Amino acid sequence: MSATKRLTDIGPPHYEKFLPPVVKKNYGQWDHHEILKQGVMVHVAKSGDKIFTVRAATPRLLNIATLRDFATLADTYCGGHLRFTSRNNVEFLLTDPANIEPLIADLTKSGYPVGGLGNAISNIVHTQGWVHCHSAATDASGVVKSIMDELYPHFVDMKLPGKLRIAFACCLNMCGAVHCSDIAVLGVHTRAPKIDHTSVPKMCEIPSVVASCPTGAVRPASVGGAQSVEIIEEQCMYCGNCFTVCPAMKINNAKTDGISIWVGGKVSNARSEPKFSKLAVPFLPNNPPRWPEVVGWVKKLVELYAENARKHERMGEWIERIGWPRFFQLSGIPFSKYHIDDFKHAGETFKRSVQIRQV
Amino acid sequence: MAATVEQVAEAMFQLVKETHGKKSLKAMDLTKAMIEKFGEAECNKDLCKQAIRQLMDSGRCIYSYFGGSFITLPPDQA
Amino acid sequence: MSEKRATPLLDELEKGPWPSFVKELKKSADTPAVNDLLGQLERSYEEKIGHWKHGGLVGVMGYGGGVIGRYSDLQAEFPECAEFHTLRINQPAGWFYTSDALRTIADIWERHGSGLTNMHGSTGDIILLGAKTQALEPIFAELTAAGFDLGGSGSDMRTPSCCVGQARCEWACYDTMGACYDFTQTYQDELHRPAFPYKYKLKFAGCPNDCVASVARSDMAFIGTWRDDIKVDNEGVRAAAAGGVDIQKEICDMCPTRCMAWDGSTLAIDNSNCVKCMHCINVLPKAVKPGDDRGAAILIGAKAPIVGGALLSSVFVPFIKMEPPYEDLKELISRIWDLWAEHGKNRERVGEFIQRIGLGNFLEQIGLDPVPEMISAPRSNPYIFFGDEVSEGGQA
Repeated sequence: MSATKRLTDIGPPHYEKFLPPVVKKNYGQWDHHEILKQGVMVHVAKSGDKIFTVRAATPRLLNIATLRDFATLADTYCGGHLRFTSRNNVEFLLTDPANIEPLIADLTKSGYPVGGLGNAISNIVHTQGWVHCHSAATDASGVVKSIMDELYPHFVDMKLPGKLRIAFACCLNMCGAVHCSDIAVLGVHTRAPKIDHTSVPKMCEIPSVVASCPTGAVRPASVGGAQSVEIIEEQCMYCGNCFTVCPAMKINNAKTDGISIWVGGKVSNARSEPKFSKLAVPFLPNNPPRWPEVVGWVKKLVELYAENARKHERMGEWIERIGWPRFFQLSGIPFSKYHIDDFKHAGETFKRSVQIRQV
Repeated sequence: MAATVEQVAEAMFQLVKETHGKKSLKAMDLTKAMIEKFGEAECNKDLCKQAIRQLMDSGRCIYSYFGGSFITLPPDQA
Repeated sequence: MSEKRATPLLDELEKGPWPSFVKELKKSADTPAVNDLLGQLERSYEEKIGHWKHGGLVGVMGYGGGVIGRYSDLQAEFPECAEFHTLRINQPAGWFYTSDALRTIADIWERHGSGLTNMHGSTGDIILLGAKTQALEPIFAELTAAGFDLGGSGSDMRTPSCCVGQARCEWACYDTMGACYDFTQTYQDELHRPAFPYKYKLKFAGCPNDCVASVARSDMAFIGTWRDDIKVDNEGVRAAAAGGVDIQKEICDMCPTRCMAWDGSTLAIDNSNCVKCMHCINVLPKAVKPGDDRGAAILIGAKAPIVGGALLSSVFVPFIKMEPPYEDLKELISRIWDLWAEHGKNRERVGEFIQRIGLGNFLEQIGLDPVPEMISAPRSNPYIFFGDEVSEGGQA
């Protein structure tokens, strides 16, 4: 068998090959760190050795020309060492503090701003959108770019009460931890899939399509004598799971797809436990290329948080302190039936006491 | 005497061929079917894993993805 | 190649202070596939709808994961991006690179694909965006020759990922990069040959700050923590106070269990009531540090909404020492995979599986004792499925 000669299952390269010498030497022996200024931090080892990090934003979608530019910067200033973060920032790892400012100047000149540390907005984690996804209800990169152009001052400054993490997903599949972010921007479909009955028998297994629906809205049906499925529209909440299983259940809809905004989630255990983001704005239209409605609401929510939260409080902690009625009052978001959960365990989010503030 | 990898692979291949276009099978569906066919004394999960690997590495079967990973025939043999 | 595509709407997104993905795309505008991608994306911006189709049959020989098939639904108009598949390349742990490693990837991708990447995808892989079907095997051959391999996709173990850990963080309570690499290598077969009901994600976070969001998106989260006392350097606390930190207000009053007291010169901690939340350590990184008896808590079952609703993971093992070769953990994982693989439904994540069969039953099946750290409160619902042993055995 010729196939067995191929090199397979070698796994990723061992990370040790890529570590800067100062990291290898002080691995597991770091003592403390300090943010020297926005975008620059130093980690000090028990040995007294120091490593300086310069963090810069990237758009996540990177051209190989940019990767080569980053490589050149790493060679010039960092002995060839760099890394990326879980939020799509690039970090240059330096041992000579004299290289920090020239590196920042080069990064800034190339359009990759330095920042994202401490009580600030770090890069938005996001999905593929119209650039590459089949189930996207909106674009991802364009909305993220539009939002961050507006929130840019919060990336390069450190003037927020606490960390603010924004995430973006272009549909309910939510590639990435969108559902536990201070602000989550989420593409939504709002109409049931359109079924291409001629393709269903060719492309899809009917029992699998029926089984794929979390609310039992899909059932087998005979259409024009051929085996297909039908959708009980009142039971469909547009998750698109049937579309993933069966491409003939087209869910994307130019007229009715749009964006929702969720607030108050977190993954860290600091102070309060990790929590889900909750619905703030149920639906905003897709309005490319700049999505002004979405940008406007996100900016308003950030400003509201900046003005009202206490130091170190995350958005969700602030909202829980003041209560949701006051959040809706302050934000001016009209409260609607869409804010009240009606899926499994919905009752867990109902208010079961009369401890109610007068807002 | 336990079943051989080749025997299990062949039986799996026949099952994939028979069900092609009617029911998509996952690795565990094939595994369960083989243990039932050959009996627990003759066949186990490890043997099935080796058989699937042989089907894949020889190109007789491929993985497909439609909301889950399935084992199927290559498009030119379907 | 066809004429350069006009992109008036996308051009708007070249403006502004934030790095522009359109500029990144246009750096390869001379590449036919990217030129057509720009054209198709502009069309999406005009029409407000995506133009990609599923592609379920592409991959490299022998693997069921690592390649996501993608086809344009406007192939006649944009033939150069008609096939535009994604490759997921398993990232080095902690996303550390040398400049040479980055150039190696760039060179391979320039020879065989669009030149577009994501650094990185949501799960953590290096993403190569836009390969034609016939290019997949040559790319794979070059990548493996250079020491890289594909990551996961479909119903397999997905590419594990981790925070920067002990490489550059004093809070890392175990070697996240070491563990991530070790588990990734152990489970190469599970990563490349899908045999599960659905995806299974492992994430390694060094401390309760959880910089890889493991609690929200991994089927199994290893979150670093410690058992002994927080280490306090009171001189450092006094220096922070002198530097403007209001210790009472910012530290003691924000402690979730109010287990700290400050008299103006000494920070006293009732460690028996500390829940290791990290707040005081985050605010006073020079003065307050995690203890020395370090390990991890293991949580299970997080997922995004599809299919049965979003879940955060829940405590499974409250504390375990994280030491290679991690034999106990691997034994535990294989018991979980055996049970879930056999009884889980297609597209049922382990968190949903646990909800369906019950956490108590799940624990019993894999042979783990229930402990109160696993719950926020005992059940209030009296619909209990009693086993015979309760009444027969005369237990309380």
